[in-house]
Order: sequence, then C-alpha cells, then structure tokens
Amino acid sequence: MVTTALSMEGITKRFPGTLAVDGVDFSVEVGEIHALVGENGAGKSTLMNVLAGLFADYSGRILIGGREVTLHSPTEAKAHGIEMTHQELSLAAPLSIAENLLAGRLPTRYGLVHRRALHREAKALLALVGLDVDPGTAVSEISQHEAQLVEIAKALGNKPCILVMDEPTSALSREEVQRLFAILRDLKRGGLAIVYISHHLSEIFQIADRVTVLRDGKRVGAHDIGEVTPQAIVRMMVGQAVDEFYARRMAKLGDVALDVAHATRYGFFHDVSFQVRRGEIVGLVGLSGAGRTELARSVCGLDPMHHGRVSVMGNVLATGGYPEAVAKGLVYLSEDRKVDGLFLRLSVRFNLLAALTPFHSVAGIYRAGNDGSITERYLKDLDIVAASADADVGTLSGGNQQKVLLAKWLATCPRVLILDEPTRGVDIGAKRTIHEAVMALADEGTAVLLISSDLPELVGLSERALVMRNGRLIREMAKEELSEETALLAANGEGMVSNA
Amino acid sequence: MPRSAAALHTLDIIGVYAVAGLLIILGMLVSPDFLTADNFLSILSAVALLGIVASGMAFITYSGSMADLSVPAIMAFSGIIAVAALPLGLPVALALGLLAGLAIGVMNGVVVGVLNANPILWTLAVAFFMEGFMRFTWSNNQLYPDTEPGTPGAAFIELFRTRVGALPLIVVVMFALFVLGHATMAWTRFGRESRLVGSHRAAARTSGVRVSRVVFLNFLLAAFAASIAGIFLASMNKLGVFYLGQGYDFRAVTAVVIGGVMLSGGRGHMAGVLGGVLVIGLLTNIMTFLGITAFRQNIVTGMVFIAVVGLQQYRLRARGRDYA
Repeated sequence: MVTTALSMEGITKRFPGTLAVDGVDFSVEVGEIHALVGENGAGKSTLMNVLAGLFADYSGRILIGGREVTLHSPTEAKAHGIEMTHQELSLAAPLSIAENLLAGRLPTRYGLVHRRALHREAKALLALVGLDVDPGTAVSEISQHEAQLVEIAKALGNKPCILVMDEPTSALSREEVQRLFAILRDLKRGGLAIVYISHHLSEIFQIADRVTVLRDGKRVGAHDIGEVTPQAIVRMMVGQAVDEFYARRMAKLGDVALDVAHATRYGFFHDVSFQVRRGEIVGLVGLSGAGRTELARSVCGLDPMHHGRVSVMGNVLATGGYPEAVAKGLVYLSEDRKVDGLFLRLSVRFNLLAALTPFHSVAGIYRAGNDGSITERYLKDLDIVAASADADVGTLSGGNQQKVLLAKWLATCPRVLILDEPTRGVDIGAKRTIHEAVMALADEGTAVLLISSDLPELVGLSERALVMRNGRLIREMAKEELSEETALLAANGEGMVSNA
Repeated sequence: MPRSAAALHTLDIIGVYAVAGLLIILGMLVSPDFLTADNFLSILSAVALLGIVASGMAFITYSGSMADLSVPAIMAFSGIIAVAALPLGLPVALALGLLAGLAIGVMNGVVVGVLNANPILWTLAVAFFMEGFMRFTWSNNQLYPDTEPGTPGAAFIELFRTRVGALPLIVVVMFALFVLGHATMAWTRFGRESRLVGSHRAAARTSGVRVSRVVFLNFLLAAFAASIAGIFLASMNKLGVFYLGQGYDFRAVTAVVIGGVMLSGGRGHMAGVLGGVLVIGLLTNIMTFLGITAFRQNIVTGMVFIAVVGLQQYRLRARGRDYA
C-alpha cells in the first residue's frame, strides 16, 4: 500500500516584484526518492523554503501524512518531521561529530554534558548512515564525504518523515556518490520520503523514482523516472527558446587575444587549454563545481595556478598577479558584486574610476584629466540610474550596481574581458543593456569569455562554447550545435558526440 | 535620500572646525589670557607632537587598518637610537633614529600587509615586545646625551627649541607633514588606492590594486611620522628612554577620528585630521586653565572618543544598514 508522505497543493509565494512559485503541486510518497529539478531561478529553493517554514505568507495547502498543516515557522516544520541538508554544510568544524549531531539537545546529567550518553547516541545515528568513526573526532578532521554523511545523520537524528537534500553530492567523488546512494536506498526502504535537488541529471536517473520539473515558478511536469529521458527533462527545464531576444551578431574574428595553455590548479581544474580571438564571445558551460570560476580567477592571476601559461595578445603573463593582467588588458568581472566587486560605501563616480587608477597615474601622481567625461559617458551609455554620480553605489538597485561594475572594466578598454555571472539577480532591462554593451565591446575587437548559469544568455551571446566538467575541458561546441538543450546535456557529460 | 559623499566630506571638515571655534569661545570665557598670540603659540607647540603622529596615523585608519598601536614604541625607539648615535654626529644620529623607527614600520607592513595579520593585535604585540626589548637592552636606564656646548648633543637638544621666524620648528614640521599628507591622500595613485583598500579590501584586490603593497606603505608612513615625533620628544626631554611616547597611540587615533576619518576606513580628509588635532589641543589647554589634572583630562579625552565613534556608527547605520 502506497501512502503519500507529503502533498503540497497550489503553492504560491510572491516576493516584491516577482512570483517565485506559482500554483505548484508537489507530492512525495512514503519510501520514495523524488527529484526536483529546474534552472536557477525556477523556484526550487523557494518551494523548499516554504516547506521548511521560512515564509509565513505562502498560499496553498500542505498535507503531511494526509493531515493538513500550516508551516509558518521553521519550528513548525521541524515539529512535522521535515528536515533539510544543505549544499553548504551546517556543521561547526571545531566541535566533535557527536556534539554536532546532537547540537541543541545534548544529553546532560547534573547540569553537565553526559559524555558517555552523548557518544552512545551519536554512534547510533552514525550507524544509520553506515559511518564507522569515533564520534569524538572533530568535524574539521574528517573528509568532505564523511561530513556530508554526518550532516545527513544529524537530520535523521530528529526522526524526520521527509528529508530534503539540496545538492548533496557537489563535493563528493564518484565512488563517494555511489556510497551515498546505497545509504539513501536503505533509508528509502526504511520508509523515509526524500526530496532530492540536483543539477546533475545522471544522478537523478540513478537514484530517483520520480522527477518534478519546475520552470519560471511553475510545475511543467512530474514523471516516473522510467518514462523520461535526460533530453526530455532538459527540454522541460529550458522551455521554448527565446532567440529573438538576442540580436544576431556577425562576429568579425581577429587574432588570438587570450591563449591559455595547460592550465592546472590541483583540486580545481586540470590541463585546460583554449584560445579566444579578438571580437569573439566564448561561453564557458558547466555545472556548479565544474571549476569555471576557479579557472577564470587563476587565469587572470587572482588565485594561484600550479602549471600552465597564459598570454594576452601574445604577451605571456609572468608572476605579477592580477595587477599585471589588468595592465596587459586582461580583466575579470567578479561573480558577486557585493563580496568582491563594488565599493558599496563609495560613490558611483569613484567606483567607475576605480580600475583606471593605474592607467591615470604618471610617476605616482593621479591625473584626474577626463575623469568627469568618462563618468558622464558610462552613466549615459549604460543608462545607469543614480541620484547623482556622487551617490553611494550601495544606494543603487541591483541592476544599476551591476552596470557600474561592468562600466568599471569597460572604462579600462580591456583586450580580454572575463565575465562571471554578469547579470545575476538583475531585472530584464538592465540585462538587455549589459548584453548590448558586451556585444558592442566585442564588435570593437575585445575578446570575451562568458561564464553564466543563465543558459539563454550564454547561448544567445556566445559564438562558441567550451564545456567544463569536473575540472576538465571536455568539449567544444560550435554556434550551430549550441542550444540550451545541448549545452545542459553537455554540462552533464551527455550528448550526441563525446570526445573527452 | 542620502546626502552626497562630497557634501558629507565638507560637513565633516566644517564640523570639526566649528567645534574648534566653540572651544575658542569657551576658552575666552574661561580666561582672559586665552585669546593671546602667546597662548595660541603654546597650544600649537603643545599639539605639534600629537599632530605629527596623527598625520601618519590618519593613513592607517584611512586605509582600513584602524590604528598602529606600536606608535609609542616607534617613538621611544627612534629617540633612544638617535641619542645613542649622537657621538657619530647629529646628521648620522637623526638618520639612524629615523631608520630605527622605519624598521619597525617595515616589520608591521610585512606582517599586516603581506601576511594579513590583524593590525590591532599585531601592533599591540610589537609595542609590548619593543618595550621589553628596550628595557632589557638599556637596563631600564634613561639615555642622556652629552650636552656640552658645541657637541652634537647640544645641537640635538636645540632641535626642539629651534624657531623658524616666529614659529617653533616643530610646528612648521607638523604643518609641512599635513600639507604633504594631504597631497598624498588626494593627488597620488597611492592615496586613491589607500582609499579603495580602506573601503573594501576584497573589491580593491579584484580592481587590480596591489593591496599588500598599499598596506605596507601605509604602515611605513605611520612609522615615519612617529619617528620624527619620537626624535623631537627625545630632544624636548633631553633624554631617550623606553617610555617616551606612551599615550600617543590612543590620542592620535582620537584626533584622527574626531577629524572625520571613519574607523571603518575609506572616508576622511587630512584637513579634518588637523582640525581634530587642534580640538584636542584646545580642549587640553582649556582644561589646564581650569586646573583639571592630567589624569582627569584623560577621562575627558576618552569620553570624547566614545562620543565621536558612537556618532560615526550611528551615521553609518542611518546611511544604509545593508551596505555599511
């Protein structure tokens, strides 16, 4: 007899300006592993956050074990047996495994921690995930794989009936993934309902019983895994191509501008070689964890590189790090504008001119010269909306902040521009402006390497795509064979031709 | 709507001079002798040492390292070395004194700039170590120069007492350092990069700034200024000893912060710092007129510091919690 562990009906959650989840139905049976897939921004996280009780203002019905419940706080969600494991582990590294497992409910005696009971209970939990280590070991001492299992054991300790796992394999090796799957199958047989979120389609076909696909906040399909193919899932995820949004660009290719040969950084990427020509926009396709950002940061000298050679317009980069790369015309637009992109407490003007400092200095003296006209020009060209050029960048909207970040590098007239998620979290208007600016720059002869998890953007802008998987460059795709579908399949290591 | 950054800057500078003006009025009420050229000259002379130290400390705060707490050690060390080297002649003694202080600055710069140590804790440790080192090396003794007329020692003692026209040399040096400091902060690549590093170190790195070098040079500047002050202080006291310089660390940071340089870095102006130095000088002078003892004056200085930092934090929050 099959019973339904969880049933979410017509769930809707609105954020200011967007409908993140729109009338989604989602159900999981007892003893089932149910995969939840969709592109970034499709609504997976929001739907699961509703389940975790993070929002008090969702609409729709949630039934757990057939009884209707309200989940307006994390406490309520936990009380109904819902547990989550996250991609970034929530363990406290300096503490022991046992202390992590029983955090918040340490067994005590006479007001002190009862260490023997603590270790006994921890041992029992570790047995559930097949981990045979001393519970007194500090979490910092164990491997990623073991930490992932401890995280699962910690969730199991609260005796959940529904376990949500968000990208549990992103830090695991192939063998470790197989061991994790064996454990998940055991848990499933024990009657646990598991929601499995992953970008890795191959894993989903190995482990899941059913799959639900979300796109733009809506459910586009729910199928038994036997009924579908990876191609069908990808088609559901990407939907109809919106090619007309991207103006067709006739790229005039010039000499090789960026030449990367045998780049290796142990543990991140291995023996990566590629070239980008003047006027060319090359997309770098890969799943999160494939090593794209790491490659970009090492190529431009922000992070170390153990082997390999990078040249810009024929000049080999020596050991001068990023400032040398910038001086030679190789610049990198950071992935996260708040973490290491913008000076939020400084003015729009200062941010726009920040990267020009070495270019405008003669013998150590800064010459303001045409700073004013440069500022005016980019405010106008990129349509940056700000109270004034002297307003703090932090007061601008996300889209305008991202435009300032781009303008900071455009102002240096780079030979090679590496873009890392150039339009993450910006509105459609700003996105369009940024795309136009990037295409205009390429038309003037700059080589562009584009990293983006926004597949329509990557496919629409790129002349050519390089596919990275597990730190290696596995494929190159020409414009003709490049579509959202083929890109996503290639990133998953599947595709029509494979010449790894 | 947030006011523009430029307007805020102007306000900070005007603000500190307005406070200075109020203090002058207060001083006139306290004593008829307050508003005399002599008294102003004595105020300037009294704050000149602090001003010299603050002109270097301002760069530390501006570039986001908050404070160099090894400043008292640098002052004492350069003073001792200068006095000890006097038999080699005055120019050599002054150069060696300066180099001794700079050596500590180099060490600070490498450890904080390149090795990324916490600037407060590291410079605190250096101050602790240097005090022990100086007490050990010179067995707790004060070092007196030979002050026979015509010797380098006599010339050394005269240094502090020299006048350039109507102004004491030390006041001229202070003003010169502020002019140089202002030019450096406002007009050089290094000044701009210090501002970027002070505002957001990670973003400065991804903007192509050599962050380590910028931090290093800022510590070198602070040590340079502190060494000059240390040599003048030794000349004033006619001796070199490990404790000369004590208290200048905190008072310099207070002057810098009163002058409108944000403790969180990246905001401020040398003109404001000079104003901060003057405010502290006026405050001390008035308290002396009122007969308040030195220890009680410390209480007031401390309270002013707390009030100003509190105000800065409040304004940062008002400007926007999400990105402050």
